[in-house]
Amino acid sequence: MEHSKQTQFSSSDKKDAGASSVVNGHCDGMLKRAAGGSSQPPAAESGSQRPVMESWREDRTRSVEDNEMSLPSLAAAYTTILRGLGEDPQRQGLLKTPWRAATAMQFFTKGYQEKIIDVLNDAIFDEDHDEMVIVKDIDMFSMCEHHLVPIFGRVHIGYLPNKRVLGLSKLARIVEIYSRRLQVQERLTKQIAVAITEALQPTGVGVVIEATHMCMVMRGVQKMNSKTVTSTMLGVFREDPKTRDEFLTLIRS
Amino acid sequence: MEYQHDVEINGEGKYLNICKHNGLCKKEKDSKDDTDSNKLSHIEKAYTTILGELGEDVDREGLLRTPLRAAKAMQFFTKGYKETTQDILNDAIFDENHDEMVIVKDIDLFSLCEHHLVPFFGKAHIAYLPNKKVVGLSKLARIVEIYSRRLQVQERLTKQIASAISEALEPAGVAVVIEAAHMCMVMRGVQKINASTVTSVMLGTFQDNPTTRKEFLELTLRK
Repeated sequence: MEHSKQTQFSSSDKKDAGASSVVNGHCDGMLKRAAGGSSQPPAAESGSQRPVMESWREDRTRSVEDNEMSLPSLAAAYTTILRGLGEDPQRQGLLKTPWRAATAMQFFTKGYQEKIIDVLNDAIFDEDHDEMVIVKDIDMFSMCEHHLVPIFGRVHIGYLPNKRVLGLSKLARIVEIYSRRLQVQERLTKQIAVAITEALQPTGVGVVIEATHMCMVMRGVQKMNSKTVTSTMLGVFREDPKTRDEFLTLIRS
Repeated sequence: MEYQHDVEINGEGKYLNICKHNGLCKKEKDSKDDTDSNKLSHIEKAYTTILGELGEDVDREGLLRTPLRAAKAMQFFTKGYKETTQDILNDAIFDENHDEMVIVKDIDLFSLCEHHLVPFFGKAHIAYLPNKKVVGLSKLARIVEIYSRRLQVQERLTKQIASAISEALEPAGVAVVIEAAHMCMVMRGVQKINASTVTSVMLGTFQDNPTTRKEFLELTLRK
């Protein structure tokens, strides 16, 4: 029963993983290098047939060599932007700004260069522990995919192990891989939850993110103190209200 | 152009009257209206290139209009280049027989680091000792807006705010303190989350008289 519950739980996540990897584009390494035309329809089909472990084996869409090769055109694009804004790219303070801004942007999207499987492989341990494990207040920095402006906040992760536990810093590393991308907070929350699910097959996972969006604070509606909270509850966190309550209380304390 | 002259002279660290170029700016502004949309499309194309080079799929739904949104956001973040203190201050200077300290503190401030094009934000605290002339209080916050909505260096920003108030009001003294968190230090590079940078400029009595300065700092920075 335990097993069938788990299978049911993971197969629904498989669909989730398939769906989210199509929407996010970069989860499916095929998109950038597709042979012809838009590759989204074929990816959607193959997504649903993909085995459970797929999202943590996703290909990188970028490599360190790609970074070096992209730098000149990124810098040229930033020079155009500076000129378009009415600044003088030749003045002393701005001379090397295109290169610095390009390198900074590559750093803010370095999640595209990393694979979950590389980060997690060694740190899954067999442990006879089935009580909740929580890592909270993980500082998170991401980029809004709509305005290319920072998002920052905290992530709280809890899971109920099922004979396998994960090295604690690896939870923070999973957060890093997915947050250092062009993101939407809802998708980020789900990707973290799904990655942990697929790596550990735990009884349940809960992820809560509270973040401040600079696109709302610095521009647009300009509400200084507003925060956005999203959560994903999987497995027993979703089905059992008491477990969920315990998790939410512990992250508040 | 106003911004260029401003910046060149700024490089020498002199206080200058930004307002001198007001007329020129207005004339240039009119003729630039039809090229503004040109500039927007150049910036938009640049962002499309950037997205592609970062390894993203420019045609996916979430990114379809991102170049335009990012270009407009960037223009908003640098709208201070088109504004001058004279435009906003002219009507709001009043004759008042008040010579005690006036402080406006905790003015939220958002700017862009000119080295990395990444935001820095924090609070500005401004004080001045009027000399027969006071200014509408919100105008101090508007001066902060004008200078912060540009590609900036925190030191220069502080100095520009102080000198703008100094030239507009000719007060007995001006003090400006800015404390800010720089995302270029928090999100990348050395990655120190709690570090904040504090810069200050003291002019006139605030510079000469330690008691005045102390009073300002106590009233402003006490939590």
